[in-house]
Amino acid sequence: MSKEFRYVGGTFPCDQALRKVTGDLLYGCDMKPAEMLYAKLLLSPIPHGIVKRIDTAGAEKVPGVVKIFSHFNAPHKMFNSCRIIPGQKFCIEDEPLFAARVKFAGERVAAVVADSLAAAREAVSLLDVEYEELPALLTTEEALNNKAVKIQPGGNLADQYEIEVGDSAPAADCLVVESVTQTQRTHHAAIEPHVCLAHYDGSGKLTVWTPTQGVFGVRSVLAEFFNLSYSKIRVIKIPIGGSFGGKQEYLFEPVTSFMAMETRRPVKLMLDREECIIQTRVRPAVRVKIKTAVSRSGELQEFIADTTLDAGAFTGSAVDYSRTLATKAPKLYRIPHYKHTGRAVYTNTVKSGGARGWGAPEIITAVEVHMDQVAKRLQMDPLEFRLHNLVYPYDRDPVLNLSLGDARVRECLEKGAEAFHWKERFHRHAQEGGRYRRGVGLACGAHKNGMYGGFVDCTSMTLRMNEDGSLNLNASLHDVGCGTATAMKIIVAEVLDLEPDLITVTEADTELTGYDPGCYGSRVIYNVGACAKETAEKLKDKIMESAAFILQKPKEYLCMAEGHVFTMEGTDERRVLSYKEIAERAIRENYTDLGVAHTYYSPSNPGSYSVQFAEATVDTMTGLTRVTDFLAVGDVGRALNRGMIEGQFQGAVQMGIGYALCEEVKINDRGKPVNNGFKKYHLVNAPDMPDVKVLLIEHEGDDGPFGAKSVGEISAVPTAGAVINAVNHALGTSLSDMPLTPEKVLAAIKQTEDQG
Amino acid sequence: MRAMLIEFKVNGKNYGREVRPTMRLLDLLRDELGLTGTKEGCAEGECGACTVIMDGEAVNSCLVLAPQIRGREIITVEGLEQGGELDLLQQKFLEHSAVECGFCTPGMLMSAKALLMKNPHPSEEEIRLAIAGNLCRCAGYSKIVAAIKDASHSADGGCR
Repeated sequence: MSKEFRYVGGTFPCDQALRKVTGDLLYGCDMKPAEMLYAKLLLSPIPHGIVKRIDTAGAEKVPGVVKIFSHFNAPHKMFNSCRIIPGQKFCIEDEPLFAARVKFAGERVAAVVADSLAAAREAVSLLDVEYEELPALLTTEEALNNKAVKIQPGGNLADQYEIEVGDSAPAADCLVVESVTQTQRTHHAAIEPHVCLAHYDGSGKLTVWTPTQGVFGVRSVLAEFFNLSYSKIRVIKIPIGGSFGGKQEYLFEPVTSFMAMETRRPVKLMLDREECIIQTRVRPAVRVKIKTAVSRSGELQEFIADTTLDAGAFTGSAVDYSRTLATKAPKLYRIPHYKHTGRAVYTNTVKSGGARGWGAPEIITAVEVHMDQVAKRLQMDPLEFRLHNLVYPYDRDPVLNLSLGDARVRECLEKGAEAFHWKERFHRHAQEGGRYRRGVGLACGAHKNGMYGGFVDCTSMTLRMNEDGSLNLNASLHDVGCGTATAMKIIVAEVLDLEPDLITVTEADTELTGYDPGCYGSRVIYNVGACAKETAEKLKDKIMESAAFILQKPKEYLCMAEGHVFTMEGTDERRVLSYKEIAERAIRENYTDLGVAHTYYSPSNPGSYSVQFAEATVDTMTGLTRVTDFLAVGDVGRALNRGMIEGQFQGAVQMGIGYALCEEVKINDRGKPVNNGFKKYHLVNAPDMPDVKVLLIEHEGDDGPFGAKSVGEISAVPTAGAVINAVNHALGTSLSDMPLTPEKVLAAIKQTEDQG
Repeated sequence: MRAMLIEFKVNGKNYGREVRPTMRLLDLLRDELGLTGTKEGCAEGECGACTVIMDGEAVNSCLVLAPQIRGREIITVEGLEQGGELDLLQQKFLEHSAVECGFCTPGMLMSAKALLMKNPHPSEEEIRLAIAGNLCRCAGYSKIVAAIKDASHSADGGCR
């Protein structure tokens, strides 16, 4: 912590923030190229059935309608919405552009393309579809038990696996605790609805403008689907009004491109909120059973988990997501014998997909609710119990066989407990009675830093110093709003010691920027950021060489600071060159372009950690819970942009409180989503949010730039667990069926009173 | 349905326009006047991304019909900047890292502006209530509340 930084650790607005506060930045919904057509989708009202016939006569008569699409005139080829490269493991291609057999209520059946949105809407309302209804399997239990109805050709079990490490031999007098936690489907709820714009021009080139997290994956899926050359497809990342994994998969790029190719005009598909909720992706519902054996002194001996993930109607990312559930607990706790069995199951419900934390919030919530139950049985403070079992820095992850790196979860817990006054509050609140009961809860969380150890994790970029000494960093960034582009500027500015404002950073464009698998998987700061640092260091060398040539001094006699290169103290004469002079003279006199290219391959994948502390107040009359105080502690390695990191944690807590208490995409017994708008799908708003305090733990033991590790996903991992544990602490309950709605809270209070 | 001719003011400029009776104010602003800073997030008055100020009150422009603005004055996010200078609220949003993805930002700014126009020195509770109808999924509100508070503490309460 002694190192002095000029820019690292300061607070800077996110890139484009100025254009965001003036309303000047154009998002997908604001883009309107000449000749643009609007597309509107018709979604299935039933969860399972055959699309027998579509009467388009009425729709065709609507003035302005250009074309109507359905499976009757579209390819029946399938794609996978999260495949980055062809042949990728677990990525079964089973999603059609338009359904011939609908598999969930909300699936795409048809689309109208028209010269106005109003005409497209009207025409969609006039489409008359005849369905032959089939029995629908709405829960994983039904889907596993019913062998007669097959949602996908191979049956309803998408995948199953078993992982076991260590020896099974818990001591005879161990305490054995079992729990079941049910997590629910949630909506990502980015405030910007999904949008995509595509154009297929006269030269046979397809251009797609999309708020995606991975342009190269989009391009690959489009190229293989339409049998086009990769070089004839250009995918451009446009501003994203929030993603949280909801825009990570390629949901509408194939269908929008198809409509653009058929009409030869730019086509824009914009979803409304209902469509976003019922037909994009949801965070999957997961049933988690955990059984642990713990010594009487509080050491975990054995941890056995079993998970069932509701994949929805297609594969998408479900297999990878389901398998990831097995990799989180061993990053957090030392477990002598660890076993995880899991399965992903198709159901006739909205497709599950990538969501912030990719399985970690689901499994870690269950783990942390379970750990509190164990601590209670041991009559031990939950904090003490965790200290008996948490990992230490440089422990090995036994499942992935990777070093956890400078894992500082213990420090997060200890420093957080002190700042939150955990011990006093934990003991004080347990004694309180009355209508309003207060409780405190804590939860620990673990996540990763990129794909190393499991998938390609490389990135390529170029950096060039312009003739005036300013810089252009050309990188395939996909800023989703959390400050990715600014972070890269801070890194480069720190290395080259110049104002971040003098650097322009690109976002991803398959035609112009280097390869990168995509900005997700907690890989951006750790790996793309490390690439930016090495690229800047490479340029620094080149600048020094040019300065050495101009000054006719060996570069060992030169140093760089504040936008200048100068001769060191003690050398004969003091000479100074500005970057501008060096850049100009490098070209003019030295015939040197001050530009470098660099490819970075990630060498490691340490753990990122967060420990969070919640105080909850429960109204025992109404069952309503309010989170009244919150502290989030993050093991971030090194804070690059402090204000944005705090914002990441505060936003994650908003999402996590909703996950614990109120958010759920509910599907009724006829397979229809019932809360299909923000009137019925509640997000926590400003009056209901506590002022979230953030404490950052900084070391630099790993390979990220200046020691920085991932933040965006880990921040969202332990929140729900902390909130649920606080409610259970307040009420003496063991609630674990999420979300903890007032009805469930009241029922649990009654049950506790009846038992008491 | 017959189009109606209405006169109104947006960001200090007078307009006369023929509008369909069913047209939403949001569409009038975005599609007819090209003021795309105002965003649509839910179309049912829950998310607040489309908030504008109508005669001093923050309203969801997805719930206001265009004919309702006859003779009224509307301020949108594009009207905050005056003479090339950012409004104090815009400056404070930048300083406090209160902007992330930016999609809720215009609506959030307009709710805050309407509050400060009426109540230049609000309490934290009043600030939180004023933005209760503006959902933010990125930032958890703390930085936004801090930015509004800071604007209200400065100079004349952030209002010109």
